Amino acid sequence: MKEILKLKNLKKHFPVKNSWGTDVALVKALDGVDLKIESGKTFGIVGESGCGKTTLMRTLLRLVEPTSGSVILSEEITGNNFSSKNLEELTSEELRNFRKQIGVVFQDPMGALNPRMLIKDIVSEPLVIHGKTDNVRSRVIELLENVGLGEEHLYRYPHEFSGGQRQRIVIARALALDPKILVLDEPTSALDVSVQAQILNLLNDLQKKYDLTYIFISHDLSVIEYMCDRLAVMYLGRVVEEADTDELFSNPQHPYTKALLSATPSFDKNKDKIMILGDVPSPINYLDESKAKLATEITEQEKLEISAIEGKGIDYIVRSSLNEVIPLVQISDGHYARVRQQ
Amino acid sequence: MLEIENLKTNFNTYDGVVKALDGVNLKIEDGEIFGLVGETGSGKSVTCYSALKLLPKAGEVVDGSIKLNGEDITNASDERLREIRGGEIGIIFQDPLSALNPVMTVNEQIGEILVLHQNAELQKLALEKEIPTFKSEKWKASPGVEFTIMAFCISFISLFVMLGQWRFSLPFLFVIMLMFLRDYLQRDNPASALDLMVIDALSRVKLPNPEQIANSYPHELSGGMQQRVMIAMALAGKAKMLIADEPTTALDVTIQAQILQLIKDIQKEENMSVLLITHDLGVVAETCEKVAVMYKGKIVEQATVEEIFSNPKNDYTKGLLEAIPKGGKERLKVPNLEETSVL
Repeated sequence: MKEILKLKNLKKHFPVKNSWGTDVALVKALDGVDLKIESGKTFGIVGESGCGKTTLMRTLLRLVEPTSGSVILSEEITGNNFSSKNLEELTSEELRNFRKQIGVVFQDPMGALNPRMLIKDIVSEPLVIHGKTDNVRSRVIELLENVGLGEEHLYRYPHEFSGGQRQRIVIARALALDPKILVLDEPTSALDVSVQAQILNLLNDLQKKYDLTYIFISHDLSVIEYMCDRLAVMYLGRVVEEADTDELFSNPQHPYTKALLSATPSFDKNKDKIMILGDVPSPINYLDESKAKLATEITEQEKLEISAIEGKGIDYIVRSSLNEVIPLVQISDGHYARVRQQ
Repeated sequence: MLEIENLKTNFNTYDGVVKALDGVNLKIEDGEIFGLVGETGSGKSVTCYSALKLLPKAGEVVDGSIKLNGEDITNASDERLREIRGGEIGIIFQDPLSALNPVMTVNEQIGEILVLHQNAELQKLALEKEIPTFKSEKWKASPGVEFTIMAFCISFISLFVMLGQWRFSLPFLFVIMLMFLRDYLQRDNPASALDLMVIDALSRVKLPNPEQIANSYPHELSGGMQQRVMIAMALAGKAKMLIADEPTTALDVTIQAQILQLIKDIQKEENMSVLLITHDLGVVAETCEKVAVMYKGKIVEQATVEEIFSNPKNDYTKGLLEAIPKGGKERLKVPNLEETSVL
């Protein structure tokens, strides 16, 4: 077990300004995230929209600067044989080196590919930027063959490909500089199930071949269960539960994790249902003391929904009960959750 | 309820004719939830648009018949179709924010449907309660208009004050005062029948504070609330059938569970038929009673939900089910679409 990346109490707060330009509130997109990412494994991040998954990815790549906390890189990434380094302290030269080590695959392949560039230019662009200009053509062909495409695709435009093929091109580009880490931000949510299966198989093959570390962000729990070795569930900018995938799926502790697992549509009709009631809370924290805390009382919406499902034998969790911040406790070896200790 | 026989729809493009539907047969009974599954481009949505004649210009229905409650609507007049859409058949689309009009309040959008499809009910309610039918007596303009009036008044006041004729600014001061006191002055005016029915429609989909939501614009609501408003709109015309075209694809899983539960509850309460179009087999397993699998413009398999998931007959259905990760780490089977029997 070797760590490749470590996040230490990472925080990113976005200020909300009123029309006079003074700060009135903070959006706590990340509010104290501690994670250790192991080398050669797949680390999954699950959560609903607005919980901070994407901000986490962007801080990892240093596309946004964290408010406090740090990302610590192991010697494997820094290339230094002796020291690990803080991402914030990298010089511009080192940052360029770091970006070589980390590839990104985004959700919508059509949005990630320039429609006016040929495939050969798209895939070779990272090589050119980082000055690896010898044998570009053979390298590009090698990369395309890695992802199941070939030389005949070099002189085509992105619109001539299907969704699955486009995602393959994005993956080929991400692998161009032999990265150690691949960040996959919902790589299959825009694809059909049969194409999704192809892409997931491809990702598994590539991981074995190049010993890659994956950071896999998704909201589809069946995909997460299939791909990931370890998993963190995020809610409102915090990690509410972290465990190995098998452990988390068999023994969920946090109420949100339980609800999430049961909300996923499945073929098993007799599965215990836990509904989560109420709307996704706004992550805005007002600086004004009177409005400062997220409401923990039952809202009108939740009251209505409770009355609607009453007497139907459905278990439920009220969403406002999740707004309270509880410290992370260890459940078993490697399994942490934000639950009250007995 | 809805019977589609041998429906064939073509799209005429510059590259030739695309046969989007190639002989689709569907029968949806009263009071059942029917699932239509398939991958992108298989013709799920085209089936429902063809049935309602909502196809774009390039598309045309070339063959087949569509029957609604025994009535043949294949060649129905535009007037009759307008009655059906939103009246007998309500529709929910995938992305609620693009389906709702961003410059109209929820009140106006649902009101439109009620005026078109529930006029008689409205008149009756107004007579019973002795309240106005459409317009509430309350005077209220849109924020833009109010801002303009306010700006005019203030500029005239400052103009006259500058000219030293402050007496002329008095009427404008009066207007501004009225605008501030408006809500207090009209506190006793009754709501119209239309307002009452809109609030009723909103509370049917379990929305809190329906009065407040009725006066808000779509962007002020969360994704789940927007989809609830869409469902309220689809049901406002006392629909007997609901077509839901990927109703939960844009939503989070926990919100998806809420919306599916709501659709199931409403279907049971009002004994409606629901045609649920989706690409997610899990959603179908959870909500539907019967299901049809589409591939390349044809229905390749049609059965009850239990049967299709425990004992799929068609190769394509089998491949589709195998492609979903279901726990375990074995390599996923990729359906080889070129070799399946449907082609």
